[in-house]
Amino acid sequence: MFISVVLLHLIKRGSTAIVLYVFQSALIALLLILSSFDHPTFLLGCAIVATIAVKMIAAPYFFSSLLKKHNLKFLVGNYFNVPVTLLIITALAALTRAHIFKDLALLGVLHADFLLIPFATILVSLFLIINGRGALSQMLGILSLENGIVSFALFAGLEQNPGFQLGITINIFIWIMMVSVLASLIFKHHGSLDVSAMKRLIE
Amino acid sequence: MALALLLSIPIISILLSLLVSRKTLYLECIAVCAGFFELAATIVIIWQVIHNNHFSFTHLFSVDALGALVLGITSVVGFFALIYSVGYLRVEMEKGIVDFKKVKLYFLLVHTFLGAMITAIVSANPIGMWIAIEATTLSTTFLVSFYNKSSAIEAAWKYLVINSIGLLLGFFGMILYFTSLPQESISGFVDWNVLILHAPLLNPVIAKIAFIFVLIGFGTKVGLAPMHTWLPDAHGKAPAPVSALLSGTLLNIAFLAILRFKVITDTVLDNWYTQNLLIFFGLLSIVIAVFIIFVQQKYKRLLAYSSIEHMGIIALGFGFGGLGSFAALLHMIYHSCAKSLMFFASGNIFLKFGKSKTTSIKGMIHVMPITTIFFFIGFLTLVGVPPFGIFMTEFMILMSGISNHLVISLVVLILLVLTFVGFLRHTVGMVFGKQDESVQLGEFNWLTLMPLAGVSCILIVLSLYLFPELQILAQRAVLYIN
Repeated sequence: MFISVVLLHLIKRGSTAIVLYVFQSALIALLLILSSFDHPTFLLGCAIVATIAVKMIAAPYFFSSLLKKHNLKFLVGNYFNVPVTLLIITALAALTRAHIFKDLALLGVLHADFLLIPFATILVSLFLIINGRGALSQMLGILSLENGIVSFALFAGLEQNPGFQLGITINIFIWIMMVSVLASLIFKHHGSLDVSAMKRLIE
Repeated sequence: MALALLLSIPIISILLSLLVSRKTLYLECIAVCAGFFELAATIVIIWQVIHNNHFSFTHLFSVDALGALVLGITSVVGFFALIYSVGYLRVEMEKGIVDFKKVKLYFLLVHTFLGAMITAIVSANPIGMWIAIEATTLSTTFLVSFYNKSSAIEAAWKYLVINSIGLLLGFFGMILYFTSLPQESISGFVDWNVLILHAPLLNPVIAKIAFIFVLIGFGTKVGLAPMHTWLPDAHGKAPAPVSALLSGTLLNIAFLAILRFKVITDTVLDNWYTQNLLIFFGLLSIVIAVFIIFVQQKYKRLLAYSSIEHMGIIALGFGFGGLGSFAALLHMIYHSCAKSLMFFASGNIFLKFGKSKTTSIKGMIHVMPITTIFFFIGFLTLVGVPPFGIFMTEFMILMSGISNHLVISLVVLILLVLTFVGFLRHTVGMVFGKQDESVQLGEFNWLTLMPLAGVSCILIVLSLYLFPELQILAQRAVLYIN
């Protein structure tokens, strides 16, 4: 999951970015399925179905339609170049090892260090949203951030509260639909998905 | 029963509005009736909370004193915003700015927005509250981009992205609180009381990290600096009644979430931790807002920055604690009324002058005298002129801070004086002077004035006389928070 979000910073093709997101979501679904073997509940089953339906089917469908509709092959690009981006990602990953986050690692049910990976995913996803100049990068950054948080909850032993999964997945479904419409409107008005070109509100 | 009714009214309104295919009048009737019944149900709920301390509907929804206060504000502002929407959209339809389809979309989204806000307040479950607050973002995004202009779409994108990130960070903070729960509690229904009950088991360092994430996350929605950047754009671009709802109700609801997590954090740590953070973000918000108010060129953005300033004052009040918390709660009420009044008035101004810059508006007193009077009442309240309520609450907040935070209190006092000067400069320029000859004199329909009169009456009455019931609610809420 961490590797996929790092790759999201580096890749250029929109379709590859969507595949990476699907891969990330598949990992979440897999974690939920593994958890359901230990504690099978009806709600957890619903959460798994919702995760697969929303993140692995609906999200790629909406994003692919967006790319096809506007004939977009490549992502807009980042504010920072590749070396600087990698440097910042390394710094963010190292930050998770900082003393202030030591207690956070102790929440892990399997191994303390496991929990730091989703935490690093959260930080790097946040950076993806900031670094991405394109609307699609920002959208995928937010979804990746959400995946990071969900995986953190799973590694912290909170998978038994399917309310988390169900609630957030339903929200994400509506969010994806809305953001796709809004991205289309941005394209219609600005001729690209480059959000750095939106400067009408700058005072 | 009342709570079930309150929750079902927005759903019924949405379904009924969907059935309307031609006549705008039906949409308007549904909206006004929905606002009225929501207000009536809220009054019943508040009455019950005053007498029984608590009001529940199944284990999913409950209202305490703090929730009742925020619910009351939401229903009152919601009711007047719906009436104002009718008048406002009628004028826009006459001018050919919107058509029936747009009006229908508007009311569908506003009912969804109100429904989400009500659900967020009455949800007994933190996850339910989070989902409902997220739903408010989703329902208002297309209200911000309602006019489909480039700048409005830009504002909507900014609003959606910043708030989504904020709420996800808030969600992360929330799940950290859940780590205190034993496994058998996690799988069950986790309400606020369960979280408070298990809070002593929470690792203090985790509690600190969790509250920072919650404060940054929900603070984004509140509009606390430096996460406030979406607010002036969204409030500036949305239709005036939506801006009134965003500023008068939504900000309080996000604050409610922060306060609920503050209570849990204070169980683990001393109050100083959450209070110092609130003071820091509160002061920062006031500083940033005050200086931008001085140089702001657009009146709706001016009001948006004023919201940031007032959220900062409220945060400061809760940060000071004690009397400050009591004053902050009352400040919420006065600010919501005054800000919705100002946004309604700004809607009338925009409809009349068709311009958004303060320097383009001259001679309001001659062009639309009734709106101007209400605008002035709102202005005097917002800048804290006596005898209006905000003067009293700001005074109480500063008094409560003077003993432990003398320097901060003095700095805030100076900033409040600066706000007064900055706001006055803009207001005088708009109200007086020679109006443009091309502007037609007179007001619009009575529906664009009645909500202003209604909110002004509430504001004046509450400024002069604080009902004992309101005092009871505020005192109980303060007990809960502190």
